[in-house]
Amino acid sequence: MATPDLLESPETDLREELDRPWLVVVHNDPVNLMSYVTMVFRRIFGWTAEKAEQHMMEVHHKGRSVVWSGGREQAELYVQQLHGFLLLATMEKAP
Amino acid sequence: MTFEFAKGGGGRFHGIHPVLEGILRTVALDPWERCPEGSARLLPPPGEDEELCIDWQDHVQPELRRGFDAARAVVEGDLATMVREKDETWSLQIPADHGEAWLSTLNALRLALASEHVLTEAELSEREEPDFSTPRGLAVMQVNFFAFIQECLIRAMEGDGE
Repeated sequence: MATPDLLESPETDLREELDRPWLVVVHNDPVNLMSYVTMVFRRIFGWTAEKAEQHMMEVHHKGRSVVWSGGREQAELYVQQLHGFLLLATMEKAP
Repeated sequence: MTFEFAKGGGGRFHGIHPVLEGILRTVALDPWERCPEGSARLLPPPGEDEELCIDWQDHVQPELRRGFDAARAVVEGDLATMVREKDETWSLQIPADHGEAWLSTLNALRLALASEHVLTEAELSEREEPDFSTPRGLAVMQVNFFAFIQECLIRAMEGDGE
């Protein structure tokens, strides 16, 4: 039989797990044009040219940029849209 | 080769050399047949979650592929209307509402080619002409040629040419 201590720990873990948002991450690749990536960000997220360019530059220089965070379903939708534009995008749980 | 912007996006390419015309016509070929290894890049996994990846393969990727195929069909239709000019060069009209299809198709082929030949960013930015007699050099030239067309279309679609 499990002790109360052991029972408490997984419940806390589960709550924390559910509270952690999903991150949509765009990764760098050598082929997609900078202007294309900026255009795609503007289309999908409705960003200004400046914000889209900032994230594009982050992808280019740092190799990745978190472009959105939130619920799983919406994250899946964004990754699907980004894949539709052939950007290298993944989703992961926030650390 | 020059590009004439049209209002609202799209435009017309003039003075396309016959060699480039031949290369341009290959854009409509199925990347899955043309670059069987490189085309894996076109449908990447959505992350590391195994369950999500399986679900993605079953439901999302077929839909994405249908979208790429539909875009390619639009491009194929436009390529069929290319006109041979008196000076032996070619011209190509891309209607404004076909811009998205062209961007998608050009991008798919560029990614598949680069992935198939494992092209690096440095190689693609190289100022010196690649060796066209090698498959790798030819791939570099094609990826960069298609990038030029993409850039023209993006500028037209973003209203930079008006």
